[in-house]
Amino acid sequence: MKISYFETGRYVPPPDLPREWPVPPAAYDPATGAEAFRGMVERVQFVEKLGFDWISVSEHHYSPRILTPSPVVSAAWLAARVPNIKIALLGPIVPTANPIRIAEELAMLDTLSPGRIVVGLLRGTTNEYLSYDLNPSEARERTDEGMELILKAWAEPQPFGWQGRYFQYRTVSIWPRPQQPPAPTYVLGTSAEAGAFAARHHCGLGVSYGNFASMGQATTYYRQQCAQYGWAPGPDDIIYRANMILGETDDAAEHALQRRDEQAPFPVRAGLRDALLQADTTRNIAGEKRPANVGGVLPISFCGGPDRVVEQIRRCRDTIGAGVLDLSLQDPGAGDTDAMMDALDLFGRKVLPRIRDI
Amino acid sequence: MAPNEIAASFTEGFVEADGFRIRTMQAGRGTPLIHLHGASGLSLTRGHDLLSQHHRVIAFEMPGFGRSPENTRTQTTAEMATTMRAAIRALGIESCNVLGTSFGARVALWMAAQQPELVSALVLEAPAAIRPQGHKLPSGSPEQIARLRYAHPERQPPRPAQDPVAQAQTRALFMRVRGPDRDSDLETAMRRLEVPTLVLFGTHDGLMPPGLGRLYKEKLPNCHLVFVYDAGHAISTERPEAFAEVTLDFLERHEAFVINRTATLIHP
Repeated sequence: MKISYFETGRYVPPPDLPREWPVPPAAYDPATGAEAFRGMVERVQFVEKLGFDWISVSEHHYSPRILTPSPVVSAAWLAARVPNIKIALLGPIVPTANPIRIAEELAMLDTLSPGRIVVGLLRGTTNEYLSYDLNPSEARERTDEGMELILKAWAEPQPFGWQGRYFQYRTVSIWPRPQQPPAPTYVLGTSAEAGAFAARHHCGLGVSYGNFASMGQATTYYRQQCAQYGWAPGPDDIIYRANMILGETDDAAEHALQRRDEQAPFPVRAGLRDALLQADTTRNIAGEKRPANVGGVLPISFCGGPDRVVEQIRRCRDTIGAGVLDLSLQDPGAGDTDAMMDALDLFGRKVLPRIRDI
Repeated sequence: MAPNEIAASFTEGFVEADGFRIRTMQAGRGTPLIHLHGASGLSLTRGHDLLSQHHRVIAFEMPGFGRSPENTRTQTTAEMATTMRAAIRALGIESCNVLGTSFGARVALWMAAQQPELVSALVLEAPAAIRPQGHKLPSGSPEQIARLRYAHPERQPPRPAQDPVAQAQTRALFMRVRGPDRDSDLETAMRRLEVPTLVLFGTHDGLMPPGLGRLYKEKLPNCHLVFVYDAGHAISTERPEAFAEVTLDFLERHEAFVINRTATLIHP
């Protein structure tokens, strides 16, 4: 089992910060922002020393909950300051982006840090589409086409044009190209579409936050699709991103779980939330229809002292088949960074050495 | 548009050339655009309709294909190209654009090699001028073949059944004239072809791997390769608007078609 730490750029907010998304820029404090980004480097150096295999960064907009609108900038900053750990971009939100720009920037990163970059291509949750004015009903198709174009831009040795449904380019000919073979690439999502796309292109699959059974449904579907295309993914081809509450004892962890803020950080207004749910009706797990996620509170998948968490990780591996766990040991946006560092340290000492063979 | 409305504006005609009576389907006005079909014969698509709004489209049925009598004379692709050039001449056309589909692209390249001044621009749709080594003709049930031809076979009406005798005759002709997978004479000629050429491949082509596109770029001095997303081998059937837009733009502007003219201004 490989372990990844999800770094969110921890902006420690003052208690009087507005709670609604989008959070007004007037509430932003530049010094706190600078501290958040300095802290990214310290935390990543810390988990590298603890023996973590990867760190991951993501793309989110217009709130301090996760202060990284550009995972590429995050990755470049970290790659230059931390020597060895792999850096996973999970991931650029494809339907709101220029796919050629994504292809070029990821190729650049792959060249700047050969062998260290991991790529995840993401459709993104429905609330993310508000940031760049994307029609939610087009997101699925834009994602599929954008991913296809990114992979083509990496692979084609000759200049080409692209006559798509949502994207059109007369000339694509990227420099630099990614390393050959390119960075390990994952499609992020639980849908039948994501599983089928990943299988067809020999990509990995990254699933997140759902319970073991439903995530197992998604990865089983993915493996079935891979078999149809004549290959079998290994454990490293499946990432599971999840929240963990780790305590010295089971009781301590349970206590922390009870104290957890059950209100989603920086939610959109109720009317907007409902409209978003209605606007995005294609979400599914392995073809089974599910409501969209519009920025609600995310579940805790692992909770306990070290012994119990090791058992949970074993069960997770059996059910989902993931060989890479991408963990948050505290909700993004929660202020108590010291407690999170303690939990990471505990994980490194008491859990990590016992899950390598899982 | 319903399938039976496709190409309703096209009218049938015949032209005598090189000893053959050759069927044509024609529509539109303007610069002539000759179409040469693939191995499965002439079938008009919505793509033809869109092209005929800007060009005089003349779709030929090559002798021995479709409804034409058996052709036991033509032996090679180059000979077929000679016959089709004679047909163009017989229509009084001295210069034209040529669109070749699959096998028709191979004929079109030979035509341009034989008489460069005849062809002002070439569009090669899912061309079969270069085939993978050991390439086999598709076989199997109509459903299996449809899965190779189309990215989305479920969206296509079933193809009408063909007379087995005529089908066998066409197949014999095709196997004779299709030439080797890699034709060194043609590829040598391609390196000298200065005609502006647009090569289109569907990203989901199950008959001609789209990765072959790069070989046309390497061999043709003035070639543009464009992938049509989510189309199989039958690009003009599956993505007619995308097919026609890039084809028409290329025919109008040749290499300058890389300059975007689409307005993005939202609120003047």
